[in-house]
Amino acid sequence: MIKFLKLYEKIGIFIFLVAGSIFLSIASPHFLQSDTILNIIAQGTYGAIVGFGMTLAITLGGFDLSVDAVMALTSVFLSILIPLIGIPLAIFISLIVACFVGLINGLIITKLRVNPLITTLAMMTIIRGVALIVAGGRQIVIHEKVFMEVGTGKLLGVPNPIYIMVVLFVIFYFILYHTPFGRHISAVGSNESAARISGLKVDLIKIFVFVLVSFTAGVAGTIRTSQTLIGIPTMSPGFVLVAITVTILGGTSLSGGRGNLWGTLFAGIFISMIYYGLNLIGVQIFYQMLSVGIVLILALFIDGIRGRYLETLKAKGIKV
Amino acid sequence: MKENDTLLKMVGVTKTFPGVVAVDDVDFDVRYGEVHALVGENGAGKSTLIKILGGVYDLEKGSIFFDGDEVSFTSTHQSLMSGISVIYQEFNLIPDLSVAENIFIGREPKRIAGRFVHWKKLNADAKGVLDRLEIQIDPRTFVSDLPVAERQMVEIAKALSFESKLIIMDEPTATLTDREVKKLFEIISGLRREGVSIIYISHRLEEAFELADRITVLRDGKKIGTRICTETSEGEIIEMMVGKVVKDYFAGEVRKQRERELIMEVKNYSIADHIEEVSFELYRGEILGFAGVIGSGVHHLLRSLYGVEPKKGGQMIFEGKPVEIRSARDAIKLGFGYVTEDRKNAGILPDMTVLHNVTIIIIKLLTFLRGMFIKNSTEREKFNEINRNLNIKFADYGQKIIYLSGGNQQKVVIGRTLVTNCKVLILQEPTRGIDVGAKAEIHRIMRELANRGISIIMTSSELPELVNLPDRCIVLYKGRIAAEFDRESMEEEKLVAAQIGQAGN
Repeated sequence: MIKFLKLYEKIGIFIFLVAGSIFLSIASPHFLQSDTILNIIAQGTYGAIVGFGMTLAITLGGFDLSVDAVMALTSVFLSILIPLIGIPLAIFISLIVACFVGLINGLIITKLRVNPLITTLAMMTIIRGVALIVAGGRQIVIHEKVFMEVGTGKLLGVPNPIYIMVVLFVIFYFILYHTPFGRHISAVGSNESAARISGLKVDLIKIFVFVLVSFTAGVAGTIRTSQTLIGIPTMSPGFVLVAITVTILGGTSLSGGRGNLWGTLFAGIFISMIYYGLNLIGVQIFYQMLSVGIVLILALFIDGIRGRYLETLKAKGIKV
Repeated sequence: MKENDTLLKMVGVTKTFPGVVAVDDVDFDVRYGEVHALVGENGAGKSTLIKILGGVYDLEKGSIFFDGDEVSFTSTHQSLMSGISVIYQEFNLIPDLSVAENIFIGREPKRIAGRFVHWKKLNADAKGVLDRLEIQIDPRTFVSDLPVAERQMVEIAKALSFESKLIIMDEPTATLTDREVKKLFEIISGLRREGVSIIYISHRLEEAFELADRITVLRDGKKIGTRICTETSEGEIIEMMVGKVVKDYFAGEVRKQRERELIMEVKNYSIADHIEEVSFELYRGEILGFAGVIGSGVHHLLRSLYGVEPKKGGQMIFEGKPVEIRSARDAIKLGFGYVTEDRKNAGILPDMTVLHNVTIIIIKLLTFLRGMFIKNSTEREKFNEINRNLNIKFADYGQKIIYLSGGNQQKVVIGRTLVTNCKVLILQEPTRGIDVGAKAEIHRIMRELANRGISIIMTSSELPELVNLPDRCIVLYKGRIAAEFDRESMEEEKLVAAQIGQAGN
């Protein structure tokens, strides 16, 4: 039992994913076609990509609630900049803008010492406001059709967003598990006082993590904008919930110190699979939001039971 | 079954958990008005035994007789109502409620059809209990505003308010200063006079001897024996605890003689509200102890030397050059290491592995590709190199630090500073909350480090440690140096006197 629980912590979401696949392959004859599967994965890329950033933030012991607003801001900047300076430069500058929001988040949290939850909550509405102001309150259509390639194009039959996700996964994986910086993130999230005493540059680490979260939000915003070719200042309201759900479901500890990027990757795909399944049985799209909320609470509930069970074992003096 | 003078009698008590027998066929008894000390190393079964008494664990085998009746507790509430109060190491007080509310939580006096709290009566009742213990605390104070020692008094008051016949105290003095311990002992003596029985669990043997009528030793879940305090010795009890003859607590210590070589000079060092114009020297390879009760500023001084607390004035000369240490980073760069007294909250990185805990400070150096990626093999080499001296017992490199014993956790935290090749090591309470065997090992490690040329600055609230371990000991009283002792002039009585401001020899 203990072994199973420890295994669950590491690859629990993978079990869900396999179970979901088996269920769907029985329920739908179309599921086991490569197009369907690639489509599900492609739809899961936003959640996974922002989830990578969120995984770092939660490992750090923080939260970033401003990610969906950053997606919208990126979208608006893209739609305005593309006609002016061309696609590559517009993407570059929009991502810089996204990173800049993260920098501000980080500076407020570390230098003004405001709680991260409240800071990013406030920044969420501020950034939404900025996006609306910049866009003049309307949606801006992008006429450069080539831009669509970013989010809808395929290479060797695989949709581009999947490549982007894989590249980001590799980068974030190395950052978190194989660089001193990643080690420092875990240390700060595990015990900030101890990290300070150990001479880590805690503030700088925090700022950089918030920049990275915003960067992932910027990338997700870029993909989504390219798929619709519209700059939308009200893009993806509530998407932050998906990002957090994906992270927690993937096994990243809510109390910080332990990030699970593999879990985040699979959880992103799993959420997308739920959407597909709901579609399949003809549930209206409005219910998708509802399903994410339920999954989040369920994930935390299961994690809580598991944690309490292990605690009781520990209290009884059993090695876990 | 009632015997005239026996309040509690446990016969053949056994409790097993999958894979371990935590308590194995233990007989134990407490008389009316007796203080009975329960000692044993970590894992000896003390905690399990009292948790059975407290109703946390069900009794598996054996029987318990309390105040004449056979009892079997299935809940903590039941045990409390029968007259047994357990004061655990982690207090069960609610910080955001007042002292009075905490004492009478769940049974507040009511008025107006029993709907509203009768605040006046609540506070008056609480005052009554506190007065009985001669504790000067306003019952309306929030618990969060009380120092640890006073919180403990509140716990005792709460126990008393239940008219408990038996109060069990688990390591009550672990976080108290000597003066607070004295106050606690007075209270315990008072309780004994009133006929209340106490089970007293402590790592500190001298306390057990000072306080208790009898001592029972547990080891590996078995009862080794019960002795009457006046008919035994510390040596015998330690022998019973560890199962082998330990001649001298600080034996086997070899001091390497060396030329006195000055490494650091501190001049007129001041910290606002805490330290006034303190000056001292530190020599290479010596252990310098700092003694002082709470209010002496000892902990502030040590924290400040490492740069985690700002100083007001004064000068530090390190290896012949004046230096300014404004942060932990500055200190580490100069060659300082620091181990906090608060291992749980500021020492260990609980979610990380043993390996990662040790290497965190220098992880940037254990890399390849211009410091981009961590080189696992180098990291392990570094760890093993350090661990040759520390002898940390762990299962595998991936094991999390929280699953180690307190002693091994402490070694990890010390190891973290050693990987930096520090020249000065500041240790606050190096052996707090760890068992006898591990203590001796930490002492050995400290002496070895000193012999290798590392200068150690340490403080401890355990007197024997300050008396026996350091080469020199400086006593602070109210932020100023009150006395200094070297190995020849060191006497326990003089040290204690200096700590409480009676330095005039």
